[in-house]
Amino acid sequence: MAMPLIQIESVFVAYGNPPRAVLAGIDLEIEEGSFVCLLGQTGCGKSTLLRLVLGSERPLRGRILIDGREHHQPDSTRGYVPQRYALFPDRTVLDNITFGPEVSEFGLAGRLRPAFYRRRKELRDEAFHYLRRIGLRESDASKYPHQLSGGMQQRVAIAQALINRPRILLMDEAFSALDSGTRREMQSLVRELWKSTGTTLLFVTHNIDEALRLGTRVVVLAREAPELGSRIAMDLAVPDPCAQEDIPSLMDRLERVSCPAEAGGTVTLSV
Amino acid sequence: MSAGFLLIHARPGRVWSFALSWLLFAAGIGAYLWVSHARHLDNPEDRVTPTLTQMAKGMYGAVMRSAEEDEPTADDAGFRTRLTHSMLWKDTCASGRRFFYALALLIPAVILGLHMGLFPYVGQFFLRFVLFFDKIIALSLLPILFIAFGIDELSKVMLIVIGVTPTIILDTFNLTRGVPGEQVVKAFTLGAGDFDVAYRVVLRQIAPRVLNSIRLNLKAVMLFLFAGEMIASTDGLAYRIALLRRHMGMDVIIPYVLWVALLLFLVDFGMRLLNRTLHPWFEEA
Ligand SMILES: Nc1ncnc2c1ncn2[C@@H]1O[C@H](COP(=O)(O)OP(=O)(O)OP(=O)(O)O)[C@@H](O)[C@H]1O
Ligand SMILES: [Mg+2]
Repeated sequence: MAMPLIQIESVFVAYGNPPRAVLAGIDLEIEEGSFVCLLGQTGCGKSTLLRLVLGSERPLRGRILIDGREHHQPDSTRGYVPQRYALFPDRTVLDNITFGPEVSEFGLAGRLRPAFYRRRKELRDEAFHYLRRIGLRESDASKYPHQLSGGMQQRVAIAQALINRPRILLMDEAFSALDSGTRREMQSLVRELWKSTGTTLLFVTHNIDEALRLGTRVVVLAREAPELGSRIAMDLAVPDPCAQEDIPSLMDRLERVSCPAEAGGTVTLSV
Repeated sequence: MSAGFLLIHARPGRVWSFALSWLLFAAGIGAYLWVSHARHLDNPEDRVTPTLTQMAKGMYGAVMRSAEEDEPTADDAGFRTRLTHSMLWKDTCASGRRFFYALALLIPAVILGLHMGLFPYVGQFFLRFVLFFDKIIALSLLPILFIAFGIDELSKVMLIVIGVTPTIILDTFNLTRGVPGEQVVKAFTLGAGDFDVAYRVVLRQIAPRVLNSIRLNLKAVMLFLFAGEMIASTDGLAYRIALLRRHMGMDVIIPYVLWVALLLFLVDFGMRLLNRTLHPWFEEA
């Protein structure tokens, strides 16, 4: 079998003084082309795990290999759609989308060469193609992010990450601020883009239903006790496509592992 | 008037707003004229509160005649030559030159602050020192500057630079730190290098706020400029004001003060306009 694209090996992370464990011994292997949804209660370290894969943070112990190599800073193999501040506020929609290719092909002085302007025209055409694909109008191209609604901003952020064709795309609660209708739309868009581009997706969400609809695999992080760090409480392969009638039972199972305190019924009231 | 006069929910109309906003100006001018008139009735030679005609005459002299220490311009010279050889022109140019030198020297300060905020090694290297430097009262360095750099242009520009750059450096540093980490990480994931991030992402984002911070510090720039000019200079607006004080030349001092205020207002207004045209995405300008 081929080597997994992402290998997370007994990763341990703690913050604060005295250190409080956030992730304690995470082991995860992710195959190329899979769509992994990361579930877990708030504060269990999902964003932290994404930051580790990005390379903007390093684990206290353990290591993370991408394609067999450790990476100590973010680079263009891993695209990122953060939950907030996803777009550059000082650039128009079009410039936000073309930022990636522009900056990776031309250095600071590269803008002075005529080749830059030729290439930029091509990139703009390509950006318009993406713009149509994410369902924005051409007239939106010259708007600034603050003039767009939250859903439109998320779409642009996805297009911005996708135009660079990263091998891995990390999305952190990308849809949590959207209403359910827009959310559905965005889910099918992401699913479709994932199928057509073949990127490996690591998708953080709070929403179990969303995780089951989107992913080929659902990984749940949970703490066994409040003072311990999170571990992988469940690693579930989702049949593709997930049968509608399976969803309730799967949801039930996932809910039980991700909120052990509530499910276990060990909550006692002090009088 | 449903919500009463002077209450929080009052909605003054256009005319009222306009009238109210100019009322204090009118009152100030009126009070001055009244005092001036009374003093002149008492003593026609009064020099403390010149009348409007005296000020106009004094200003005409400043605009049309050369300074005492210079060659007088010929009486038959054209308006342009007389203007460009006049006292006011010469003083404004001298002060303006120093002012713009000082502003130009703020650019490296901004760049330094940016690098300190983004590159940990640069930050560690400079931060403590700049914090220390920021606490030094620049004016107390004035004698040292005069001894070290002589009393010519350099010491005056250095005074402004020492007085204002630490503020600008630290402000840029804080603004840089305020840029969300996601933006930096994201730029890297899109293939940007360190300097792309610094200049194409972070600097662009903080530029309008940096410009606003410089606008707020214009007053400090002027303060240090005037201090330097008043103490050791042979030209400049503040030099003239200090010199005329000895002759009780209020008829020129008052117009000079207003002229300086107007100039500063225009520079500030120009920068605001620049900010708005350069950064249309910036909302709170
Ligand atoms: N830089 C930091 N310094 C100190 N503690 C941190 C830091 N980053 C995260 N933490 C802590 O680590 C824990 C996990 O944070 P993380 O952001 O990964 O949670 P999350 O699972 O993404 O939560 P959410 O679903 O609310 O986004 C939290 O308890 C948080 O307080
Ligand atoms: Mg999070």
